[in-house]
Amino acid sequence: MSDKTAKKIMVVEDEQYLRELYVQILQQEGYVVDIAEDGEQALAKLTQNEYDLILLDVILPKMDGLQILEKLSKMGKKNFNNTVLLTNLGQDLVVAKALDYGVRGYMVKSDFTPEELIKEVKGYLENGIVRSAL
Amino acid sequence: MNIQLALLLFAIAGNSLLGLFTFYKNPKSWTNRLFSLFTLFLNSYLIFNHLSLNQSSDEETLFWIRAVMSNAVILGLLFYFLAKTFPQKEFILPRWQLILSLVATTILFFLTQTDLIFQGYENETNNPIPGKAIGLFALYTLIFLSGGFIELALKLKNSTTIEKIQTKLFILGTIFMFVLILTTNFLFVVVFKATALVGLLPLYTLAFVGFISYAIIKHRFLDIRFIIVRSIAYTLLTLFIALGYVSVLFNFAFFIGRESPSISTLQQFIVPTILAVFFAISFQPLRRLFEKLTDRLFYKDHYDSNTLLWNLSRTMASTLDISKLSSSILGQLRDSIKINYAVIVLIRKKTIIWVGSSGNTKGRVFKGKDILDIIHKSHTSSRKLEQIIIYEELSEGRTKDVMREHGATIVLPLIVHSDLIGGLLLGEKSSGEIYSSEDVDLLKIVAPEVAVAVRNAMSYDEIKRFNITLEQEVKNATTRLQNANKRLKELDVLKDEFVSIASHELRTPMTAIKSYLWMALNKSPQKLGNPLKKYLNISYQSTERLIHLVNDMLTVSRIERNKIEIKKQPFDIIEILKLIFDELKITAEEKKIKLLLKYNPGEMYQLHGDKEKLREVFQNLVGNSLKFTPENGRIVIKVKKERATIAISVSDTGSGIREEDQSKLFKKFSKIEYAYANHSSQHGTGLGLYISKQIVSLHNGDITVQSEVDKGSTFTVRLPLIQDKGGESIKHV
Repeated sequence: MSDKTAKKIMVVEDEQYLRELYVQILQQEGYVVDIAEDGEQALAKLTQNEYDLILLDVILPKMDGLQILEKLSKMGKKNFNNTVLLTNLGQDLVVAKALDYGVRGYMVKSDFTPEELIKEVKGYLENGIVRSAL
Repeated sequence: MNIQLALLLFAIAGNSLLGLFTFYKNPKSWTNRLFSLFTLFLNSYLIFNHLSLNQSSDEETLFWIRAVMSNAVILGLLFYFLAKTFPQKEFILPRWQLILSLVATTILFFLTQTDLIFQGYENETNNPIPGKAIGLFALYTLIFLSGGFIELALKLKNSTTIEKIQTKLFILGTIFMFVLILTTNFLFVVVFKATALVGLLPLYTLAFVGFISYAIIKHRFLDIRFIIVRSIAYTLLTLFIALGYVSVLFNFAFFIGRESPSISTLQQFIVPTILAVFFAISFQPLRRLFEKLTDRLFYKDHYDSNTLLWNLSRTMASTLDISKLSSSILGQLRDSIKINYAVIVLIRKKTIIWVGSSGNTKGRVFKGKDILDIIHKSHTSSRKLEQIIIYEELSEGRTKDVMREHGATIVLPLIVHSDLIGGLLLGEKSSGEIYSSEDVDLLKIVAPEVAVAVRNAMSYDEIKRFNITLEQEVKNATTRLQNANKRLKELDVLKDEFVSIASHELRTPMTAIKSYLWMALNKSPQKLGNPLKKYLNISYQSTERLIHLVNDMLTVSRIERNKIEIKKQPFDIIEILKLIFDELKITAEEKKIKLLLKYNPGEMYQLHGDKEKLREVFQNLVGNSLKFTPENGRIVIKVKKERATIAISVSDTGSGIREEDQSKLFKKFSKIEYAYANHSSQHGTGLGLYISKQIVSLHNGDITVQSEVDKGSTFTVRLPLIQDKGGESIKHV
């Protein structure tokens, strides 16, 4: 897979173990992975670089996922087609708000095994399977 | 006409009127009867006395003097009787006294006509010559007069309030008269042989009349104004008739007599007779006319008690507002009777609860204990039957002082069903006059009616106030409820947040555990030994269960907050049942359970619903069956149409559910003791069936269970079928 033109994925995740896991399994699949540990860092990186896929956590220190979306939106970013929420939140409201910004979809972290997660990521990158509802 | 004659006529007129009206006021009362009789003899006494003074011959003078003496004898007797009776209605005298006094009077009456009392008249000195038994007359007079006075004195001592005052006035009047008479007409005549002052006698009786009149005016024996007005009316009537009679006769004689000087004797009789008949017939209408005229003249401030009563009744019937009612009643009373103020005081137990007034109370307050006492006193007044306190009738004391202090003239108790509810206090009449008997009678009629009306108004007022209180209470309670509700809503929001955050916080470490266990199991560079692999598997499955539990709790929380979103779309139920069938077939085969999906392939099972959520429902049902069905068992998913519904049943050959447990199945965290539950490697969260039922309900369907212990269970979900318009099935995709 590494021979492919490497896709660039941004993982915004404050939880260290999960972040390490995602980096590990995504790199194993040959993706170029960038990380952000909190909201501010994420916003800074997202405004500077471009990514093929952004896995965005919602509950984050300093600035939450929704605020990041809001800021980016104000800065002029119109297309959030490359963004997928990766969260453990149970609130429909937050998800609905995020979807309003036009994010591709969302994943509940606990519902996926690493294998399933990779499958989802591939899906998003290739043709964009959008998982609706819970 | 000399002064003496004028005095005489004046006194006689006064005495006669007083005597007559007293008699007519109450002819059955012996006091009134005796008083009338007394005035009658007093008048004849005055006449005889006058005649005795104006005779030319000694014989005639002596005759009239003797007549005076006889008259005096009778007066003495009557005085005693009157004093004895006054002011009662009954004539009570021991028989022996009656006989003795009558015998003594008769004897003396005749003795006065003989020489034994007065034997002659001395023309030179203008004095009668006393006889041998003159002492007897003196003794008789002394006995009866002093007897009378003793009676009065005793009465004065024993009587109270009004009777006492009446007696006092009676005594004063009598003493005044008799002392003067005895002095001028007896002592002077007998001792000093002087008759010069005898002519003043009528004045003395006038004094007597004056005192009695005062007693009458002051104490409502009868209305003095009424007497005066009627006297004037009768005088005018008499004058009118007399003048009319005379003028007609005079004119007749003047005109007719002149034309025919020889008037026949017949004519002389006929004319006066016709006139007499005319006046006799017209007497009654004329009398009424004069009465009306004088009434109009003298009773300018007179009110019609019937009208007042009618107006009061109307007022009392038309309003229930205590303030309006009170001011209206008091105002009408004040305007009619013309009093400076009127007050209604309402009491309950020992306190004054309400005071309403009309008129000028001059800043007086009717709230003190003294007022309360007075009202209680009026209720238990000495005039028990009448229950009224009248200022003038009170003897000096605390009550009178209080009334004077408050300028009150009348206090009437307000009584409803023998309960004292308050009092009616009336001030003085603006004219300064006293209350007439008519006023008092009227007030006695009005008071009970006022009492009832006021009491009703008070009850109404209380109900009204109670209603207001009640309204306020309800309002307060509602506010409290609203606040509680608001707080509950706030708590609910907090709970939601908590559940959401808690689940997030729980799911994050669980995701890490699950993911790394999966990595250990699947991506381990070393091959895992058997016990280790088993342990890791158990850990992984337990983590999965934990995640399920959290997810289910989140779902329940959403359902209960009505926040679950059902995205309905038309689809064929077979579509999702196939998915589930394919998904769980492997698990079933592992457990050696036969899993079947039965439906009519030629038919469409189209319904309107949330695909994802309904998939969860059937996944849960089949999953349950798989969990609780032992090896070599059988699970059948059957789909069939039942009129307008689709019935999807999941039957297994598990151990079944006891009937008493069946109703608990669809409740939260229902703990059903399956016989084999302990053997099952997968435990439920206890929420699955509850969630399923809620989701099915949101699709207007229902879920039921049929089960027999040791034979198996069947869960049936019924959902509304989409009815195709043309009656044809929609093509199977």
